[in-house]
Amino acid sequence: MKQILLITDGCSNVGLSPVVAAAHAQSDGISVNVVGVLDHGDVGELGAAEIEEIARAGGGLSRMVNMRQLSQTVQMMTRKTVVQTIQFAVQKELKQVLGNGSIEALPPEKRGEVVRVIDELGETSKLQVALLIDASASMKPKLAAVEDAIHDLMLSLQARQGKSEISVFHFPGARNGDDCVLDLDWTSHLNGVHAIFPKLQMGGTTPTGPAIMHIVDFYRKGDYGRQSRDETDGMMSDYVV
Amino acid sequence: MTTSFKVDLRRGTVVTGKWKQGKYRVERLLGEGANGKVYLVQRDRSWYAMKLGIDTLDLQSEVNVLQSIAKQKQQGQESYLFDVDDLYGPDGREYPFYIMRYVLGAKADTYLKQQGTEWFPLVGLNLLGKLAKLHQAGWVFGDLKVENVLVADYGHVELVDYGGVTAVGKSIRQFTEIYDRGYWNGGSRSADPQYDLFSFGVFCIQLHEPKRLQQLTKELLPQNRSTGELMQIIETSAALKPVAGWLRKAFDGQFADAGEASAAWRLFMNRRDTHRLSSTPFWLKGLAAASAVLLGISVYWLLRNLL
Repeated sequence: MKQILLITDGCSNVGLSPVVAAAHAQSDGISVNVVGVLDHGDVGELGAAEIEEIARAGGGLSRMVNMRQLSQTVQMMTRKTVVQTIQFAVQKELKQVLGNGSIEALPPEKRGEVVRVIDELGETSKLQVALLIDASASMKPKLAAVEDAIHDLMLSLQARQGKSEISVFHFPGARNGDDCVLDLDWTSHLNGVHAIFPKLQMGGTTPTGPAIMHIVDFYRKGDYGRQSRDETDGMMSDYVV
Repeated sequence: MTTSFKVDLRRGTVVTGKWKQGKYRVERLLGEGANGKVYLVQRDRSWYAMKLGIDTLDLQSEVNVLQSIAKQKQQGQESYLFDVDDLYGPDGREYPFYIMRYVLGAKADTYLKQQGTEWFPLVGLNLLGKLAKLHQAGWVFGDLKVENVLVADYGHVELVDYGGVTAVGKSIRQFTEIYDRGYWNGGSRSADPQYDLFSFGVFCIQLHEPKRLQQLTKELLPQNRSTGELMQIIETSAALKPVAGWLRKAFDGQFADAGEASAAWRLFMNRRDTHRLSSTPFWLKGLAAASAVLLGISVYWLLRNLL
């Protein structure tokens, strides 16, 4: 399972629309979650609408939170999206097997087994989360909290039985033309990682869309040479008979 | 995190199960959890608690856990789960629900406020007993907190909200930050008996020193949260000091399970100073100190006048 988790506090203003980019990600089997970080006021109507729209296009969830809730929100969203991704895959199988689409359509006695399978897969299947952090000037005072949230997410993922990895990106890059910068390559532990973002130079632009596309490419490159069969689907057919 | 759970069942509403046509009359809201609401309902003149969920998957997952626990229970014990069904909410949408035994009782902190903190050692013991049963069956409660512990007459304890219950070895399904071992940098978020015992430790602090605990979570930077900070509250709290040794072991994960932990808790309860310490009010100690000081001063004056 692949996820992108975007943490931002405002509107994109350069390049490709982030909604289009999120839809691209989704078509590659990557879910996009978005957390809008509130300051004292809020992200503004435009920002809020965009955040919701990105998540919808990316098949993920969106939430507006203040700094104190960040850690808990990030870990909960990731968990929920894992379940959701598997639920969609299982429902696709159900459609073929039973002819009806959703778990709600099953009588309660029959839901138990399906949900047991979903829970089991949610716990054991491989998970990758690419964190994409908006490092535009207004985010600067919030980056400490973002780092804490990343450490906290890692802690939750480490408790899973399946292999879990995170990678961290921030945008925009320091030089012009860099949409986003890799801070941390795929890893399954943060032992010894104290500062994820080293001396950031806060840029003025917010190229959210191009940054998402950058990560979609990053996932593609990582998949190149690996088995092409969709992992989740392969496992699904073993479980749902 | 706040969820957009807007459905609200009014008092007197009669809801009918979509699949099994069970009819329940709603009496009042009992509480709100992370993933649903719990109502007091009536069917055939018996009282039940109804958990109404937002998400079918979430709720079914919880039902699965309750059913597995019920299967493992020995005969003769009261069953917990009565019915599982869907209902149509006032907004026309379908919501999943299940019906469970209604547990009469007060939240742990309310109970101790009303009945006195002298009940604390016994409530703690009974709670450990409940956890021990779960642990024996291969489960971890997960979301142990003041709100999820109901206390009835004579310190009888019931756990409510099984949304966090997790099979040993998996990742904790649902937790509350300040009770979480990971939050205090005290260990992983994997389900093991020690996870519950850690939360139990924070539970004790929350019962006796809620303000200081709250203050601590506000002040500390995440990387500085530690069990040492929790121990500092304990060492300086009259009510908690007698259990300090026990709590340190709980935070360090030194009990194999709640069974062993409750045996150790019993030792603490039987110690004589436990009750004396917790029953000596602060004002009495203050008064004693004041009179000692006064005595000192009068002796001093007496001696000075004599010589």
